Parts: sequence; structure tokens; C-alpha cells
Amino acid sequence: MWTDLLEAGIMASVLAAAVRIATPILFAALGELVAERAGVYNMGLEGMMLMGAFIGWLATYSSGSALLGLGAAMLAGVLLSLLFAFMVITLQIEQIVTGLALNLFASGLTTYWLRSAFTDMGSIPGITILRNVPIPFLSDIPFVGPILFDQRIVTYLALLSVPAVWLFLYHSRLGLEIRCIGENPKALDIKGHSVALRQYAAVLFGGAMAGLGGACLTVAATAHFVPDMVNGRGWLGLVIVIAGAWTPSRALNAALVFSFLDALQLQIQGVGIRVPYQVLLAMPYVVAIVVMMLRRKAGRAPARLGIPYSRDQS
Amino acid sequence: MTLLANSGWRIERRASRSSLALISALLAAGTGAILCCSLLFVAAGADPIAAFAALAKGSLGSVRAIADTLVRATPLILTGLATALAFRARLWNIGAEGQVFAGAMFAFWCQSAIGAAPAYIQIPVIVLGGLCGGALFGGLAGLLKARFQVDEVIATVMLNYIIAYVLSLLLQQGPWTEPGGFFEQTAIVPDEAKLPILIEKTRLHLGFVLALVLAAILHVVLHRSPLGYEIRAAGSNLRALQFQGVNAGRLVLVVFVLSGAVAGLAGAFELYGVQHRLKSGTLGGLGYTGIIIAILGQLSPRGVVIAALLFGALLNGSTLMQIKTGVPSALIYAIEAIILMFFLIAWAASRFRLRRLRHVD
Repeated sequence: MWTDLLEAGIMASVLAAAVRIATPILFAALGELVAERAGVYNMGLEGMMLMGAFIGWLATYSSGSALLGLGAAMLAGVLLSLLFAFMVITLQIEQIVTGLALNLFASGLTTYWLRSAFTDMGSIPGITILRNVPIPFLSDIPFVGPILFDQRIVTYLALLSVPAVWLFLYHSRLGLEIRCIGENPKALDIKGHSVALRQYAAVLFGGAMAGLGGACLTVAATAHFVPDMVNGRGWLGLVIVIAGAWTPSRALNAALVFSFLDALQLQIQGVGIRVPYQVLLAMPYVVAIVVMMLRRKAGRAPARLGIPYSRDQS
Repeated sequence: MTLLANSGWRIERRASRSSLALISALLAAGTGAILCCSLLFVAAGADPIAAFAALAKGSLGSVRAIADTLVRATPLILTGLATALAFRARLWNIGAEGQVFAGAMFAFWCQSAIGAAPAYIQIPVIVLGGLCGGALFGGLAGLLKARFQVDEVIATVMLNYIIAYVLSLLLQQGPWTEPGGFFEQTAIVPDEAKLPILIEKTRLHLGFVLALVLAAILHVVLHRSPLGYEIRAAGSNLRALQFQGVNAGRLVLVVFVLSGAVAGLAGAFELYGVQHRLKSGTLGGLGYTGIIIAILGQLSPRGVVIAALLFGALLNGSTLMQIKTGVPSALIYAIEAIILMFFLIAWAASRFRLRRLRHVD
């Protein structure tokens, strides 16, 4: 049965699933990457994704449009990250504590909202999810076509975000300034540019991406919202940023490793190999710890990550 | 701040905060949370006053209700203490959640291993089992941090997910599954292993008193022992502590082991004092609520006990609130987080003050 997994056809479907599954974490990780380059550790990623998943589902259900759902989810992510930014940048509250508070807030609020809007748990409605949009000609290429070019629109968008974020960070003025804030905010401050404003922008971008990523879980995957359905993907997003050494391309690689594992476990269950499902589901978390143990070679964190900037201190 | 630039007023950082600042921050957090709750009640179509009344009656309305409030507070005191201990040293142990599981599982393993025995043997075994299980699992996170430089937040979060799957694996067609049962749960524990009840006709068990004793012990350890000094010093300036010759890696490990042990005890008490069988899913959330409690309690054992009692009351009252007004009891989890956010904001804001400038040009 294990050899079944190595057949070309099955491998292609595993890889296609891996690319699809990477979508939400890729969005979240890219947003987090930009925020962390600006020196802000957004530990509320899990909560922002959860809020995105819920609002995306609710807005799609009430409006009937998945596009509106995705937009609403991004807005929810922005609002939540605005609160986060106010707390950690303006009030300079400990970033880790604030992030955790936000996670608990999102978890409590979405569960409560769900239970009070749909009192009968059996009646929670599903939504019509996004369908695959094969790209003409390209999707006909053997093996590669179905993997890369027969995906949902959000997956293309997530993949395109990788070069876009890279271009932004390394080839735009604001990108340079954001990277500078992560290393030496004073340099920017002395020139008369607002550090806080740019950090706000980076965090809000991170929130929008996390909201979008979360929405992909409902609008592009399961059609239903389940309490705490993000199930650690936000935390994996944080791991991906670290494993990806704070660069977009390597973050993509890291995201694909995790999503490949996820796709593989779905396939393992599919072909009937008898491994307890708990072992398969726990695998990404074990791998995350191993990745963190091995990461010492990977790269250096922004020097000012997690340290709030204030003019009176060094 | 730019808004006020030309008005003759300025927002400044205070050099120090008075105890008045803490009280006003708590009051602001309380008021904000009550207003937010009322909004959520109205959104759910319930009368806020009736809902608050049900909440109060359910948590404090009778001896039994009060006893139940104390029962709900017991694990929260312990997870709050566990988190406070680690946070004091600026070690972000988010793993109380998983350490609760580990404590319950290890206590169950030890207690089942000794078989039939009188209560005076079973109870100490359960307490030790809970402490050891939590200590081992906390120690694992500490080891990852001290030896492999794995960020402790990520390590503990991942371990939280992993242990929940391990428990589910052991309970599902594993050696622990109730014989002939369908559900992911063990059989009911023997009567001698149940924690003694303190007040008749209530569920108040020995664990509550032990949790208070532990809070007192930790208070003394933190403020009157060399280890407590090291923990507090590590929280304010680890570098200086290392220059004094303190081994930082060892301190990390010790803090995680202690913190895990305290959280593990919460799991053992929940299992043998309240639930009386190990199930997957019913231990969830205790650790995360402990984080809120630790922060509201200002990372001090005394504050933690007070905050845990408040949250125990909220959790206990929410059942009656749901029955009487139809407001889902899940609201409590949202409220807990809202209280925390308001407190964080109010506390941070109390660092600033508005001052009139003498000379304005």
C-alpha cells in the first residue's frame, strides 16, 4: 500500500493538494513576515486567521458572494490588527501578551457569535465554496499542469503574493524603510520619518493577509465554520516565517513542506494505510519543533523584533 | 500626541505608578468589560440585567453555588500560578494547557498502576503523579528552550497540540479505553481515588485547599528564597544575573519544571476531584484561561487567587445564565478575553499622564 503513494498519478494529486493546502498558511506567513521585518511580533496570527475564517464564512453566507466574504474577512483582519497595533505600538504593551490576548478574544467571540446566531447546532449552514479555475493551456501540461494551474483563484493569488512581497520589501522605498525599522528604527526617526506609522502599515497588512488566509479555510475549503478550526495554522505560520529566515521565497518552501505533510496524511488515510489518525494529525506540530531545533543555520531575526521603539530609549 | 502639540498640554510617561493606578486600571477594565458584555447580551437578544442577575445567582446564590464556584476556580488558581511563575522570569510558558493534560494522564497512569489501595495511599500517589507528569512535560519545553534554543512560545503551543492527540490516541482503542465503551474515555475511577469532599452535599474537594496552600508556598518561594530572587531577577535583567554566575539554562529548566508541575496538579485535581474519568476534550481551555488570570493577577500568587475566584464565579454562573436567558455560555470565554484586553489597555495607559506645560511658545 505504501508503494501506491509513489505512483505518478497519486503523487500528482498529493502535490496538487499540497499547493492548495498551502494557501491559507502562505497568506498568513507572508503578512507576518512583513510585520516582523518591521519589528513587530504578531502572536495574534492564530486569532486573526480564526476571525477571518468566521467572518469570511458568515459574509459569504449572508451575501451569497465568496468575493464579498473574502473582502469582509480581510477587513476583519485589518480591524483586529488595528487594535493589536494600537496596543503594541502606541501603548507599547508586551507583544507576546497582547497577541495571546487577541487569540483568546477571537476564539471566544467567534464561538459565542456562532452559538448565538445559530442556536441549533445542527442547522449551521454551509456555503458554496470557490471552485477550481483551470488556466487554459497551462493546465494541460502533463503532471505539472494539474498541480500548479488547476487551482482556486486564491491559491494563484497566494503564490503570486510571494514575488509581490519580495518586490515590495527589496525594491520599493517603503519596503526598504520597513526593513530598516526592524534593524535600526532610529535611523529612520532621525530622518524625520514616522516609525510608528510604518509599523502600523506593516501590522495592518499582516492582519489583512491573516484574515484572507483564514477565510480560505472556509470559503475555499470546508464550507462550514467550526469553533477553533484554524487549529494551530497561525502558529505554524509563525514557524514558517522563522524557518524561512524572514524571506518570502524561503517562507514559500517552508509552507510547502508543511502542506505537503498535510496532503500526504490525507492521502495515507485515503489509500487505507492503517496508521492511527492522531499520529498523522500530530505530525506537523512535531515537525515544527524539529524545524525549530535545526533552524540555527537558517538566518537571523530582525534585530529589533519584539522590542517597541521609543525615542527616549536606545 | 501631535494632536496636543500646540494646545499647551502634553502626554508624558510617568516615572512610577501608584497603587491608585492599578485600582483605576482594574475599575476601568471592569466597567469596560461590563459595557461590552451588555452589548453582546443585547446582540444575542437577551435582557442584560436579567443575564447579569442569573450570572450572579448561579455563582453566589447558595452554599452549593458558592462551593461550585470554588470548584471551578481550583484548576484556574493552579494554571494561573503556573503561568505567573514562568512569566515572572519572562519565560513565556503557554504550555499550561498541555501540562494540565500531562498531569492528569500521568496521575491516572500511576493511580491505575498501584491498583486497589486505601485512600491514604491513592491520594498522595495522585498528587505526586500530577506534579511529576506536569513537571516532565514542562521540563521537555524547558529542555527545548535551554538546550536547543527553540522559542518557548512555539515549543509550548506545539506541545499543547501534540499531547491532546496523544491522549486521544490512548483513549481510542488504547489500553485506557473503558472496557466495552464507545467513547474516548476511561472507566470511572474507584471511590478510594476520588478526592475527599470538604463540605457535604457539595462538590468542593480537597484540591481547593491544596491549591491555596500551594499559592502560599509559591508566594514565599518567590519573595523569600534565593530561587525566587533568581526568577524575579531573570525577569528584569537576565544579563546581570548571568554576570553574577547564575546558569541561565539551568534556571530556564527549573522554572519550566516547577511551572509544569503546578499546572499538572490542576489536571490531576480535575480528574480525581470533579470529572472522575479521563476524557478527551474536557480538560481543554484551563491552561489558556490561566494566562489571563496570571496577567490580571499581576503575576503575583495573591492576585492570581483573586482573579481565579472571579473567573470561577463567571464560569459557574454562566450555566444558569444560559438556562434562564438563552445566552450561550460560550460568552464567558469572550468576556474573559475582553476583560484582559481592557485591563492591558488601562494598565498601559496609566503609564502616561496629561500635563500642562508651563511655557508654550
